[in-house]
Formats: sequence, C-alpha cells, structure tokens
Amino acid sequence: MAHRDPRRLSRRQFAFLGTQAVGAVVTLLLGIPIVGFILSPLFHRQLVVWRQVGDISAVPDRQPTKFEVAFPLDEWTSANVNLAVYVVKISSQTLVFSNVCTHMQCPVRWQSDLEQFLCPCHGGLYDITGKNIGGPPPKPLPQYVHRIDGTTLFIQNSFTESI
Amino acid sequence: MNALAVIGPALHRLAGELPSTAPQGSNILAAQVAIGGLFSLHILIAGLVSGAAELGPAIEFLGYVRQRRSYDRLAHGLGRFITYYFSVSSTIAILLVTVLLVGLWGHFWTTIVTIAWWPLFIEAWTFVLQVSLGYLWYYTWDPLRGFKGVHMAIGGLLAIASFLQVYMIDVVASYMLTPTAPQNPIRQVLNPTSYPLTVHRTVGNLAYIGFVIGAFCAIGFLRTRKPEDKVFYDWAGSFGLLWGISMTLLQPVVGYSYAKEIQLHAYGSWYKMMYGTLSPWFLWQITLLGIMFLTATLYFARRLRTNDAPGAGLLNAMAVGMVLTIVLAAQPYHLSLTYDAVVGAGLNRPFWEGGLINPLGSMIPWKVLALMFYTLIAIAAVVWYLRGLPGVVWGAARRGEQRLLILMAALTIMMMVTMGFIRENSRAPFLITGEMTIQGQQNTQPTPTP
Amino acid sequence: MSRIAAIYDWLDERTAVRSLARKGLYEAVPVRGAWFYTLGSATLVLILLQLVTGIFLTLLYVPSVTEAWASLNYLKQHDAFGSIVRGIHLWSAYILLFVIGLHMVRTFFSGSYKRPRELNWVTGVGLFVLVLGMAITGAFLPWDQAAYWTAVVVTNIPAYTPFIGSFMRALWRGGDFVGPITLSRSFGIHVWLIPAILFPLILAHLALLRKHGEFGSYINYRGAYRSREGVDVPPAPAQRPIEPPYPAVPTDELWAAPLETEDFFPFQTFKDGLVSVLLVIVVFLLAVAIGAPLEAIADPSTTTYTPVPEWFFLPLDELLLLVPQQLIPLALVLPAGGVVLLLALPFIDRGPERNPFERPAVMVPGAFAVLFVVILTLLGSGRLFNL
Repeated sequence: MAHRDPRRLSRRQFAFLGTQAVGAVVTLLLGIPIVGFILSPLFHRQLVVWRQVGDISAVPDRQPTKFEVAFPLDEWTSANVNLAVYVVKISSQTLVFSNVCTHMQCPVRWQSDLEQFLCPCHGGLYDITGKNIGGPPPKPLPQYVHRIDGTTLFIQNSFTESI
Repeated sequence: MNALAVIGPALHRLAGELPSTAPQGSNILAAQVAIGGLFSLHILIAGLVSGAAELGPAIEFLGYVRQRRSYDRLAHGLGRFITYYFSVSSTIAILLVTVLLVGLWGHFWTTIVTIAWWPLFIEAWTFVLQVSLGYLWYYTWDPLRGFKGVHMAIGGLLAIASFLQVYMIDVVASYMLTPTAPQNPIRQVLNPTSYPLTVHRTVGNLAYIGFVIGAFCAIGFLRTRKPEDKVFYDWAGSFGLLWGISMTLLQPVVGYSYAKEIQLHAYGSWYKMMYGTLSPWFLWQITLLGIMFLTATLYFARRLRTNDAPGAGLLNAMAVGMVLTIVLAAQPYHLSLTYDAVVGAGLNRPFWEGGLINPLGSMIPWKVLALMFYTLIAIAAVVWYLRGLPGVVWGAARRGEQRLLILMAALTIMMMVTMGFIRENSRAPFLITGEMTIQGQQNTQPTPTP
Repeated sequence: MSRIAAIYDWLDERTAVRSLARKGLYEAVPVRGAWFYTLGSATLVLILLQLVTGIFLTLLYVPSVTEAWASLNYLKQHDAFGSIVRGIHLWSAYILLFVIGLHMVRTFFSGSYKRPRELNWVTGVGLFVLVLGMAITGAFLPWDQAAYWTAVVVTNIPAYTPFIGSFMRALWRGGDFVGPITLSRSFGIHVWLIPAILFPLILAHLALLRKHGEFGSYINYRGAYRSREGVDVPPAPAQRPIEPPYPAVPTDELWAAPLETEDFFPFQTFKDGLVSVLLVIVVFLLAVAIGAPLEAIADPSTTTYTPVPEWFFLPLDELLLLVPQQLIPLALVLPAGGVVLLLALPFIDRGPERNPFERPAVMVPGAFAVLFVVILTLLGSGRLFNL
C-alpha cells in the first residue's frame, strides 16, 4: 500500500463514522416527535370548567346526598363523563366530596347503617367529614372546588388537593 | 338429604324432651373449663397426628426421589407415631362429642349438627379413611418395599384424608365465628374465615409435627449411645426444625389475613382480641412467635458453628436483628389492661405526656413492620443455614443445639394453647356469632328446622 | 423419480427447504420427562390463538369511549360466532397466564436457566412481563364497568412511585383521569406496541432454545438417570440424522448433553400437539359454555358497583388490602422486586447443580414465593366470595 498520512481517515473509517452519523440523524428525526408525542399528556392542561350541581337546600343535615354532574371529556369526543358528588351539610358547613377513594381510586359510597363512607375494594372507611378513619386509604376523601350561589351549588372538575 | 330429614327432627325432639341436666348459672364456668381443657388436649395430640399423616408421606416421597434411607426411617417413625397416638386423640374426641358436647352443650351441638350436617358427615368418614390408611401405611411398609409406588400412593391418600378431615372441622369452627346462610352449603363451607382458618391450621399442623420431631430427636440424640443413631437423630432433628420453621414462616401472612376477615365479619371478636380483654394475650402471642424465630436462628447458628461450617457469623447477626425486632413487636399499645380503660380514664395520650398510650406499640405501622421484618430475617436465616449445610457433619452436634430443639417444641405448645384460648374467648359471649350465646344455649330455644 | 420428488428437488435447489426441514424437524430432544417440556409450546400455541382471535376481533371492535361497549354489545347480541371468538380470546388469555406460570415453575425447578441458557430465561421473563401487559391493557378495552374500574385502579398503581409517580400515571392515562386517551393508548399498546416487541422476543427465545437444545431436567443426565433397563444407556442409533444442538457450549461434562435423545419430530411434536390441543379444546368449551361477559357500560359516577380484580391480580389485591397505608409503596415494591429477582436468578444461582433436591438454598425461597402467591390468591378469592 502507498504511504499515507495516518491522520487522514481511511475509507473504512469514513464509512463506519458515516453509518453512525446517519443512524444518529434517523434516531433523532424519529425519536424527538415520538417521544414528544408519548410525553404530551404531561404538558397538557386538563380542561377545568364550572358545572351546576343543583339546588342543595333540600339536603338534610348530616345526611350525605349524592348528585351526578356531567363534565366534558375535553379531548376530541363530544361525550360527557358523569361524576358523582356527595354533598354533606354539618350544621353551618357544607362539604362537597368526590367519591374517588384516595387508596386505589375505587368508587366510595355512603353507608347509612355504618354512618361512614365505605370503599368496597379494600374496606377503606371515611367519616362524615371525609377524614380517613379506617382501612388503607392514606388521605381524606377529596373535595371539589366549589361555590354556592344562594342555594345552587356549582363545582369544578378539579380537587382542592390533588390525589 | 333424606338422612337430614329423618335425623334432624329426631335430634330436635331429643333436645326438647331430655330433662335438662345441663349445667346452669355458675356451673357454666365448670362446663367451659371442661370443654376448653379437653379440646386443648385433643388439638395438641390430634394436630400432631394430622401433621404426621401429611408430612410422613411427603418425607417418604422425598426419600424415594433422593434415594436416602434416613428419610425413609424418619417417615417410618412418623407412621409408628400415628399408630400409637391416633387412638388417644380419637378417644378424647369421642369423649368430647358424646359426653361433653351432647351432655353439657346439647342445644348448641344439635344446632350445629343440623346446620353443618354434610361437613360433619364427611368428617366422620375421613376418620374411617385415616385409621384404615394410617394403619395400612405403617404395617405394609416392609411388605411393600419392592412396590414403593403403591406404598407411597397409600401414604398420599392418607395425607389427603387427613387434610380433608381438618378442612371439614374448620368449616364448623369458622362457621361458629362468622356464620353465613345456614341453608346454603356452599356459602357455609366458604364462609369468610373458612379459607384463612384452614390454611392456618394445615400449615400449623405441619409446623407443629416438625418441631416435635426436632424435640423427639433431640431427646433421642442425648440418650442414645450408638453412633449411627446419633447421626440419624442429629440430622432428623435439624430436618424437623427446618420443616417446622418453614411452615411457621407462612403464618404471619395467613394470620394477618385471618384477623382482617374477623375484623370485617365479626367485629366484636376482633376488637376484644386487639383492644379488649384478650389484647395482652395477643401481645404475648406475637412475642412468642418472635421468640420461636429467634430460637430457630440460634439453633442454625450454633449447629453451623459446631462443625465450623461457614455462615454462623451472619446467622448470629441475624439473631441480634431479630431480638431488636421482637423488642419492637412486644411493645404494648395501651399501658392498661384494655383500651377502653385508657379512654375511660381520659388518658388517651402518649405516656410521655402523662397518658397511657405507647405510640411505638401501635399495630400500624410498628407491629406490622416488626412482623414483616422478623419474617424476612427468618427466611434469610433458613436460606443461610441451607447454604451452610454441606459443611455440617451429622452426629457431631453438641448438647446446646438439642436443648434449643426441646425449647422449640415447648414454645410451640405454649403458642397453640394461647391461640386456642384467645380464639374461643374472643367469640364470647357467643357460641355462634350473632346467633347463639353461651348463656342462651342453656335455654330451650327452637333449633332451626332442617 | 416420482413427480412429487421432482417438485421437491426443484424447490430444494431454489430454497434449501430440505436442510431447513431437517434442521427444524429432527432436532434432538431429551427422552425422560418429555411431557413436562410441552408447556413451552403450549404457551406458544395459546399466544398464537390470542393473535388470531385478536386480529379478527379488530374487524368489529371500535376503541372509542362511546363506541367500544356498543360494538361489543352488538357482537354479544347479534353475532353468536363473534361472541365465541371473543370468548376464546378471553379464556385463552386466562389459561395462557396459568400455563406461563407452570412453564416458569418447570424451568425453575429443572435449573434450565443455568449456563449457557441464562439469556433464554431472561428473554422468558421479558415475555412474561409483556404478556401480563397484554392482559392488563386488553382488560381495559371493553369499557364496561369491570374494564373501566380496572383501568382506574391499575393505572393508579404507578402513582405510588416516589417522585415520578403522578407523572407515570398521567402518561398512561393521558391526563389525570381515565378517559378517551387512556382507551386509545391502551388499544395501541395492546394491538401494536407490545406485539411488535413480543413476537421478535418470542423468536429470540426460540432461537436461543434451538442453539443450546432443550435442557430437560436432571433425570436426563448421568448419575440421576434411570433408564427402563436400569442402567445408563448410550444414545440409540438414529434412523435419520438428528440435528445435534448438544453441547452447544462445553460447560461441564455431567450436564453437557442428555444421555438419551430422540427426534423432535414426531415424538415431541406429538406430545406438544396433544397437550396444546387439549388446552385449546378446554378454551373452546369455556368460550362456548361461559363466554366473555360484558357488564353494564362504564359509569364513573356509580355508588353501587364493587370493582373486582382479574384473577391474576388477586394476590396483589389481597396484599393491598392487608398492607396499612404507611406501607403501601412497600406492597407495590414486592411485585417489582419479584420481577427483578426473576431476571437476576441465573446470575444469583450460578452453581452447576441442576438437581432441585440438591440446591435447597434456591428451591426454598422459590417455594415460599410460589406459596405466598397461591395463599394470597386463595385468601383473596375467599374474601371476594364473601363481599
């Protein structure tokens, strides 16, 4: 072989590096949009709206009453999602609970014979103020952001504290 | 169901027509002591027989696969044990049923027979199976030596009969604590505490016989002069302990689940055990379990150290860890006999604030953590001992190890008596939770129609 | 020369089909215990059954929150054969998970994960995790009450991971709450993403098996071998040339090659075929007799429905019930830790001993793990029966 400057790339080395460079470009071109797409829900803000629950003047004291409220699923669908709301009046205080259990998010329900909220999945118990008093749930029952206009209750589809 | 239609009303008439010689008033205590004492004795022996009938065939099979005579000798010894003691535990059982239960607790007994007819019927037939297969298994040992397959099949059937026997009586026992739908046999058999109790007792019987093998062989080792017997007893003692502790390691999960089902379906009993008058005994039980794990770990460490086999150092370290965990587990939550006493005295605050509560003794999370921890350490100890076993010379044990084996069996017996006491007293004042009281079984109440 | 032989020659010159057939059909497999080695092919058959029934289900199913339940309800009401296909898809999934469990226990027991077959085991664990992923994402698709609440609870599990938990949950759900994006993502994962990884991994798993040969178990090797005549026998002379994978890598003399082997075709293929066909018949019977249930359409506002986990989630569900709130991440670390231990198994148990009775330090913890899972499943099913 003729004498060559060792600092110059050989044909083999050039092709090797070129293959790697092409691979890197393809990976980036494909990867960035795909990874961005996969991660997109992390950057997407949940659509938060107010919806009317109804007239809560008839709700008896210390008797959690269930209402159902329709909220939009703000993605492309026109369908709504029904969410359960428990309205509790304790003397002058009005508490507006969601029935999402803070353990595994199963649907919690009021048991009038126990006078507690019960989660059927693992037996989690909450008292009438929503405090987690039994079983595995680590946090109290979540409350909806709400406002009361006169006797009409409005809620947002967001909790006062995230779970 | 025709048998039921005939026998049920007959028993009903009998219970109503017999003069009531059953004890009344303060004699109920004597009746309870009689039942409690005899039942404890029955369980202490019958549990061994059941365990032997299940473990023996398993050991014989393992011995066949591994081609080890020592396994066969141990299984043969268990067969002999069954033939000696089956009749003792059966006699006590029959005494219990025919004299004590029918005589002193007749109303309760006829009720439970009416409700749990089929489980008790199957139970009775498993006795026939157990006695015939047990004696057959032992006495055909040498004649069937060339036909090991047949012999092991007999042993296998014996193990199944024994398991079925325990399962059926556990259906009755669990029904007493968490009764459901007496007319629906499937719901009755699968009542909420049926699975936990059956798993708990089956595993427990296997553990119990393992520990008794350990103690028995420890005594044999100390007494014998023949070197080949010393080798056998040394190995068999370790083997029995390994089986015992491995089965006991499953118990915390099962026991916790059992307590959960009791909490969900018989809250009064649960409260009594955890916060009420039985809570000091429950605390003792959790401490006793820890001491059992500790004793096993100390045996493992000592046995390896005796032959300078590797691993003794880590096992001693595990023992220290276990002691610390037991100290955590043994802390009482309420520094009084019951929790209600604390609330009643208005001292519901930590002891450093002048109250009667010890927050470090709360079940959640401290005792649960302690339980998880010493179970994990014990599993690690078993594995570490198994790793060191190739370095052990059987027959060259010292006396200290044998004493630990004997202590282990004593601890187990204490554990079983404690558990039986807690179990039966937690259900008080009920005999069948929510349906029949201890006092109430004395009055003539109508038994349910068959 | 006959016509067929001539055609075969023509093909062979152009495709080398003869040597392919010989390699494929006449591989050496161990003789003793062959019925136990059918579990792997049974798993493959059930997975292929899932693939086929799944593909045909996509001819009707619509992955939309408003259409999913409606399309499957239409299938149930108006399409008897379609319902059977859906039933096969469900029951085959349940039985597949059980058979994978048996296959794992068998290979664990026989020490088939030891050198040089470690990567075979590792790819196998990967396959197990992927199949579990298929079962989970598939369970979300009907969007009935069971599916919806399964989606809610299962996607909530990652939320307990420290620091990144709520992000992981949001990634899967497509937001903070279960909704249309959850269904679409799960459908895409179930139909495209996981199968695209699963099937190449299956090929890798099979290629590795072919390279090293089926290990069998210790009863096929010298020292523990008990032939029908009671002595170690040399391999019988083959009728056709057996493709010898043994020993692919000379490890140690004792475990290099089984003492007695036979042709894969027709001996092992018959056993494999029989076991697989029996399982498929069972699946078919269950599909016709019970079928795939479809509950009421998903209702997030329900206060009467009790979510019940799939059977393979019972141990985790029972654990979640028992573990107090302060220790919940611990309960969730256990399954993850279990998978890590499974992956690391060939690198923890490196000794050459294959006899399960001679390696108690591995067998005892393994037996515990299996017993814990079985006991938790039993207790969970008892509890749910008494709800």
